[in-house]
Amino acid sequence: MNFTGNTKALVLVYRDMPIQTLNESVNIMLTPQFYTLKREALPVKYSYQAKRIAPSLFDGLLEEGHKHEYFVAKEENTWLFIAYDLEKIQNFLLEKGLDLTLVSKMYFAEQARENFSAPVMTGDKEALVNFDEQLVMVPKAVLADDVSFIEPDESFTPKKGITLEGGEKSFLTKKESYTLAGIFLLFAFAFVFEGGRYDGENEEENAKVQALLVSYPSLQSSYTRDSIASKYEDIDKKERKKREIIKRLSGMIFKGSTLSSFKMDSKRFEASFVCSDAKILKKVEAMAKKEQFTTSKFGSNELKVEGIL
Amino acid sequence: MNWKTYKYELLVGLSIVLMFMAFGYKTTKVSANENSTSTTGVSLYELERIVALKKVWGNKKIAKKVDKLKTLVPASKVKWRKKSKKLTASFSGLDEREVNKLSSGILNLAVEIQKLELIKVGTSYNVEFTCKW
Repeated sequence: MNFTGNTKALVLVYRDMPIQTLNESVNIMLTPQFYTLKREALPVKYSYQAKRIAPSLFDGLLEEGHKHEYFVAKEENTWLFIAYDLEKIQNFLLEKGLDLTLVSKMYFAEQARENFSAPVMTGDKEALVNFDEQLVMVPKAVLADDVSFIEPDESFTPKKGITLEGGEKSFLTKKESYTLAGIFLLFAFAFVFEGGRYDGENEEENAKVQALLVSYPSLQSSYTRDSIASKYEDIDKKERKKREIIKRLSGMIFKGSTLSSFKMDSKRFEASFVCSDAKILKKVEAMAKKEQFTTSKFGSNELKVEGIL
Repeated sequence: MNWKTYKYELLVGLSIVLMFMAFGYKTTKVSANENSTSTTGVSLYELERIVALKKVWGNKKIAKKVDKLKTLVPASKVKWRKKSKKLTASFSGLDEREVNKLSSGILNLAVEIQKLELIKVGTSYNVEFTCKW
């Protein structure tokens, strides 16, 4: 039993292949009829660097008007560069009855060159041959009559392959889906991070509350708190009002206006001003009215100002 | 249906679901935090307010401060009657400066003014003051 290796059947894809009927997922291996390759010894370390320079290596070698994609693989001393037209390949696979959704991975025969120890039959007229360290398609006629052929099987499956982009029914390409998924995951991460920041944000306020409750243990009971608050709020409100009124009335004392009497109890107040002339009296009266106090005149120069607390 | 057909859509869908879950997490945290802030805020505000009110109007040293009123005017002009937490004081023959001093002193005391009466007699003033604390 093989738990780690690739156990899917490997289908060799060549121009004259018969129509296929797939019942299960397979891997496919393309013959050189579907790609152009180059081997170069380049001073690059990583695949992504090699992939970046791949298009320039095939300048003038590829058919114009087609969109080519590139596959790179590191070999012992060289890099293997393969240019392929994915759309063309997919169309061909569909023509041959290969359901793209059942194609697991796509490989290039060149990747498994070392396995091609003998020619492989690719139709009636051609064969795939490992010639001069490269797999090539040759007419069958050039092969010796007694040559023996081999059949590629799953043991030919290379490590690195290409995943077809979801087949024709897929709405998104691999790149699009990875980009979108990346964006959404970035948002998800941001939300989680932001949510996490709200944890423990109230610790400072809680500490202050606790400190106050320790200093004033009687305030731990909400009943006591309400009772104290109600008692003192009432006093605070009334006393502030009294002091405010006295302050306002004292503003009415100026040159020509004298306070002759003032009386304030817990419910009301009244003050009498003696003014030097009618003009001053009018001014004091206006000031009192502005403060919404009740005014009444006595004689020509006395003004009584009163109000309720 | 072969799930592999839509594996990219599934990947995007899954990431969207994850994003919404994360958004839900964040919203829950924000909401919980707002509730907690509001609750804690109210408690802290209430406590601080009660403590402040108690410090002002429940000051146990106020009796001593009230006594200082007596010193603002000459003793001959004062009739002072302090009993428990209540004061009844009469000030007579005060000039304007003394009245101003006395009224400032009274207004700055955190006591409940029960009665404050001022009458001008000639050029001087008589003041009656009753308060409790």
